Amino acid sequence: MRKITYALKKMLLIATVLVFMSTFMVSAQGSEDKAETLTIYAGLLEEHAALVAQEFQEATGIKTNFVRMSGGEILARIRAESANPQASIWYGGGSLTFIEADNLGLLHRYKSPTAEVISDQFKDPNGAWTGIYSGYLGFVADQEWLDDEGIDMPQVWDDLLKPEFKGELVFAHPGSSSTAYNVLVTMLQLKGEDAGWEYLQKLNENVRQYTKSGSGGGRMIQLHEVGLTIGYLHDAIAFKREGYDHMTFTAPADGTGYEIGAVGIIKDAPELEAAKKFVDWCLTPEAQELGQTVNALQFLTHPDAVPPQEVRQLVGTKLIDQDDVWAGENRSAFLEKFNALTRTQPL
Amino acid sequence: MRTNAKSVQLNQLTKTFITSTRGEVKAVQNVDISIGPGEFVTLLGPSGCGKTTILRMIAGFEMPTSGAIMIGDQNVSTKTPDKRDIGMVFQNYALFPHLNVFNNIAYGLKLKKVPHDEINRRVHEVLKLVQMDDFAERVPAQMSGGQQQRVALVRALVMEPSVLLFDEPLSNLDAKLRVHMRDEIRKIQKKVGITTVYVTHDQSEAMAVSDSVVILKDGIIQQVGSPQEVYQHPVNEFVAKFIGKANILNATIVEIEKDRAVIDVHGVNFTVPVTVPSGKGAADGIGAAGSKPREKGSKVRIVIRPESVLVGKKDFKAPVMKSVYMGTAQDYKIEFLGNAIEISDNNPTTKRVYNEGDIMEFSLDEGSIHII
Amino acid sequence: MTGGGPVFPGSFPSIFSDRIRSKSDRNPIDGVPIEGVPIVSDNKTTRSLSRSGNSFQDGLRQLRFTLRDPVLLVSIVSILIVVLLFIIFPLFSILKESVYYQGSLSIHHFRNFFRQAYNLDIVWNTIRLGISVSLLGTVVAFLFAYATTYLKIPSKKFFRVLSILPMISPPFVISLAAILLFGRSGLITKQLLGIRSDIYGFWGLMLTQTLSFFPVGYLMLTNLLQNIDPSIEEASQALGASQWKVFRTVTLPLMIPGLANAALLIFIQSLADFGNAIVIGGNYTTMAVQIYQQGIGAYDMAGATALAIVLLSISMLAFYLQHQVIGQKSYVTVTGKAAKERVLIRNKSATIPIYIVCMSISVLVISMYALVPYGAFVRLWGADFSLTTKWIVYVFTIGRRYIVDSTTLAIISTPIAGLLGIVSAFLIVRKKFPGRRFMESSILVAIALPGTVLGLGYVLTYNTPPLILTGGSVILIIALVIRSMPIGTRSAIAALKQIDPSIEEAANICGASSKKVFTSVTIPLIKPVFFSSMVYAFIRGMTLVSTIIFLVSARWQMLTVAIMNQVDQGLYGAANAYCLVLIGIVGIVMLTMSFILKRVGVNLKEGY
Repeated sequence: MRKITYALKKMLLIATVLVFMSTFMVSAQGSEDKAETLTIYAGLLEEHAALVAQEFQEATGIKTNFVRMSGGEILARIRAESANPQASIWYGGGSLTFIEADNLGLLHRYKSPTAEVISDQFKDPNGAWTGIYSGYLGFVADQEWLDDEGIDMPQVWDDLLKPEFKGELVFAHPGSSSTAYNVLVTMLQLKGEDAGWEYLQKLNENVRQYTKSGSGGGRMIQLHEVGLTIGYLHDAIAFKREGYDHMTFTAPADGTGYEIGAVGIIKDAPELEAAKKFVDWCLTPEAQELGQTVNALQFLTHPDAVPPQEVRQLVGTKLIDQDDVWAGENRSAFLEKFNALTRTQPL
Repeated sequence: MRTNAKSVQLNQLTKTFITSTRGEVKAVQNVDISIGPGEFVTLLGPSGCGKTTILRMIAGFEMPTSGAIMIGDQNVSTKTPDKRDIGMVFQNYALFPHLNVFNNIAYGLKLKKVPHDEINRRVHEVLKLVQMDDFAERVPAQMSGGQQQRVALVRALVMEPSVLLFDEPLSNLDAKLRVHMRDEIRKIQKKVGITTVYVTHDQSEAMAVSDSVVILKDGIIQQVGSPQEVYQHPVNEFVAKFIGKANILNATIVEIEKDRAVIDVHGVNFTVPVTVPSGKGAADGIGAAGSKPREKGSKVRIVIRPESVLVGKKDFKAPVMKSVYMGTAQDYKIEFLGNAIEISDNNPTTKRVYNEGDIMEFSLDEGSIHII
Repeated sequence: MTGGGPVFPGSFPSIFSDRIRSKSDRNPIDGVPIEGVPIVSDNKTTRSLSRSGNSFQDGLRQLRFTLRDPVLLVSIVSILIVVLLFIIFPLFSILKESVYYQGSLSIHHFRNFFRQAYNLDIVWNTIRLGISVSLLGTVVAFLFAYATTYLKIPSKKFFRVLSILPMISPPFVISLAAILLFGRSGLITKQLLGIRSDIYGFWGLMLTQTLSFFPVGYLMLTNLLQNIDPSIEEASQALGASQWKVFRTVTLPLMIPGLANAALLIFIQSLADFGNAIVIGGNYTTMAVQIYQQGIGAYDMAGATALAIVLLSISMLAFYLQHQVIGQKSYVTVTGKAAKERVLIRNKSATIPIYIVCMSISVLVISMYALVPYGAFVRLWGADFSLTTKWIVYVFTIGRRYIVDSTTLAIISTPIAGLLGIVSAFLIVRKKFPGRRFMESSILVAIALPGTVLGLGYVLTYNTPPLILTGGSVILIIALVIRSMPIGTRSAIAALKQIDPSIEEAANICGASSKKVFTSVTIPLIKPVFFSSMVYAFIRGMTLVSTIIFLVSARWQMLTVAIMNQVDQGLYGAANAYCLVLIGIVGIVMLTMSFILKRVGVNLKEGY
């Protein structure tokens, strides 16, 4: 009896201690703010984000946390938290989503001294966001499947409408993925709005699934889950470098869109000073070059930064004349139209 | 064992429940009971009469709607059970299943921080009281119901409380053990001299153990008195029927004096004693127990106990409707004066036994007929 | 994992199968819900007083009486506050948001919602899936339950352990394994059969949900089957019925309320399922997933709340029906054990087919679980099956913070959930106080609350002043506690109702204060339930995904969310490695718990 009560007493004691610990952790959260910290919403691959956070912490001593989400999710979260922002930096993800965020007044404008040398096409004139990398859209396919079925690799956008791709095409939902939204506006710009919508509607017939994040289609090709996807070519190159030799890709011959991966400071950032330091730091050639060590193989925006060997083959790809401001401003309207057209919601 | 008996007073104790199905239910109404130190009082009544509710209010498990509970000279109405200095024995023993007999009994003493040696001494002392010294290491599951109830009894006693409560302690035991245990309880209570409130629905149990009996119906006290008083002088039909068997007949008073009356039952006159009910309940004029007007010509009801019919005497004759041999007695039902009367004739082996259809000869012990 | 065996089979059935209100309350008056007790000084005045005023006063009196003990006051008040703040208020926020349009009350959002064909598809998807899974799941559950209690077959213990497995593993394991097995590059479909199948969608979800949720029904039905007195069936056999006829005319009819109950239970789980639906649902979107996508993914709170209200209504309806079923039609007495040993059926025409079916399902489940550790070491599933430790290294470096955060939060929430569960059950069963019924029904209803609905409610309520909790660890701990406490409360209520209250009264009258009664009598008596609800709380803390996906932040991350992200990004190796670590942690904790339990058990015997 005594032993049981003893055990129970100990248990109650532990429970009480734990409750106290948790309250302590709450208060610690408050006091943490005094030591310099930085919280990042990262729109790129987890490994990349982790490396950048770690390097930044080492370089500056600022304790850095991050959470990885897709571009659309970050936008939604920043909107939801606008009364009480939880993070200070939005790092990675397409500039189109940044433009919409800026239009909604969710970004703190900051012109980093490091950004001065970065070409104007890669940054917002007001400093709402600055480009860190860029990449081109293209077709990615499973070569083994193409061979098995005797299908040719698509070369132009209209090839994607061929019946043999029915149920074999996967790409992300424009609502949740900035990659996919880029595909959407690329079509509207390449073909003109009416023809563009018509194209997307036809394309929908062939789409098996809209994934949440832009890299989802690539990994399904990687696993032979589907035959074809639309995504960033640098992602496909990265997969290939990892050893997925069956992955093949082409840049559309009739022209394609590109994405600028950006960084920006969230409005009312709780850690504004640290956030500025981060922006200054992440635009440096050294920080930009970190990506290639973890298989993020994009073109870089800093003129002195050395892009990865593997993407040089893409130099010379035919690009469309892209109006990002227009695309960003119309994001909500276009998404609504897309949802209605395809009877889907972002997944 | 130290005696620590205190008196218990219930003043105008009332308990009302509001239920969703039956609306307001008055479980206990204006109950006044006064129990002297060392007295053994039984609350007796059918189920739902409020006796358990009264007990649980004394213990502190239920809140009185109004009224007060005094133990000694202290009003304990708002105290928690653990502060009332009370012992209680439950219907289903309520031993702690995870503790052995020793630890069950020592439970309260340990809480009181009684020194270890004294706990040992006192536990063994009370175990001896119920001849269970060898059972200290057993767990409840290894004992019979009777043994468990003995442990429960001494678990309550060992705390030397000022009042001991019993909530139908014997109803889970078989008939033989019940008789044995009730004698044991009475013996121990007398030995320890503790004030005791005992709840039961079994009238023979109540008669056997109590100094005084409180008979309840629908939350109202019907009568309070010694076992003899409530049996011989029930204040109303309910008490008469509830305590033992009773034949109730209509009668008219022909003549009434101070201590005797002549009554007419279906044309036959009897001379019967008139008693002033002496029980507390009746004296206080509580509830339904109030006396009816008794004057010449008034209609009354009379009680004839089955053993008041003297079989074999030749005053009356009546046909036998039923005859059952019961071992110690022969039970009859006869038709007499327009009523079915139940009779119990002791020692049938020494007498003539009437069969169904026979005409029985008998007389009535007029002195034991009671007007209610 | 199986080391926890002694903890589970005994206690989990009670978690899922007990009835909410015992009909066998001791005192007929005590058993009736008492709204208040009036002060009666005079019969006549009572009648002339208005009832409500009286009830209020009586409530106060009753409260004062109950609260003679300050410990009780503190515990009642704190549990009521927890219930109000973290169950009722978030739901209220959802309701409020869904019926407000441009500053006034309106059904605008609902009209909008039902106008869109896509939304109706989602509702229909969810219901269709729920019905299919509940039917199939109940059949499988009954098969397993019947096989393990009625038939003379080998490997029963294996079946038992196996059917518990899906309950204690993270929700993704089965979906992940299903993709690895039956996906386009699946081991069975591609490598073995060479077909190009499509597991994403209805069929994949049906398979994974059935395998995930049948154990709940299995435990419940086993409990019921064990409590059928064999003499009822023997009586039928004595009258000349064949074994098949006994089954058809006695066993099955006796089990019908139980089967309906199991089906509803599985239906509720399927409705609320987030983990499987998001991983393997593909374009077959269900409501639980859509609430998240719309609220968090698209920041359409109006749409999300309307959807949440619809989902909540369906769940509550099913929950209500379920309790109607148990409340009224249970022929099987759950109390007490069967009078004697059952004579097991040896008839080969019954045992062999059932054995084969159960074995096949078991082998499927086992192979799914075996795939996880294997997949954690495979370099590139589908392309390169060579072995590597790179994913394990990955989860312990990049994923370390997920593991640490998840484990920390689960460990913190476990004792809180365990204590709140048992204390609330104690108050509900043993004490009278105003708000008791409210406390009971709110906590029990929370069992059927879909996790995404609660998560949405927290975001709506605690994202804005006056009380901002999002972004911190506290809201995550609260979510974990609220998601596991009600199950603990329910099983503790069931356990307490088995214990005669006079045992506690006896302790009370022996001089123990109500706190002392609780620690020295109540807890020791329902110790197994206490421990198993703690184990459950920990597992739930480690595996929960639906509610917390709304609440994770950069500072506090959870393993399950990491797994989900890995699956979305296609890093199956990492996802498997995370699952492996998660199962490892849960396993270690369960073993430790059952070790402690045994230790306490040994001490218990020494104490006798």
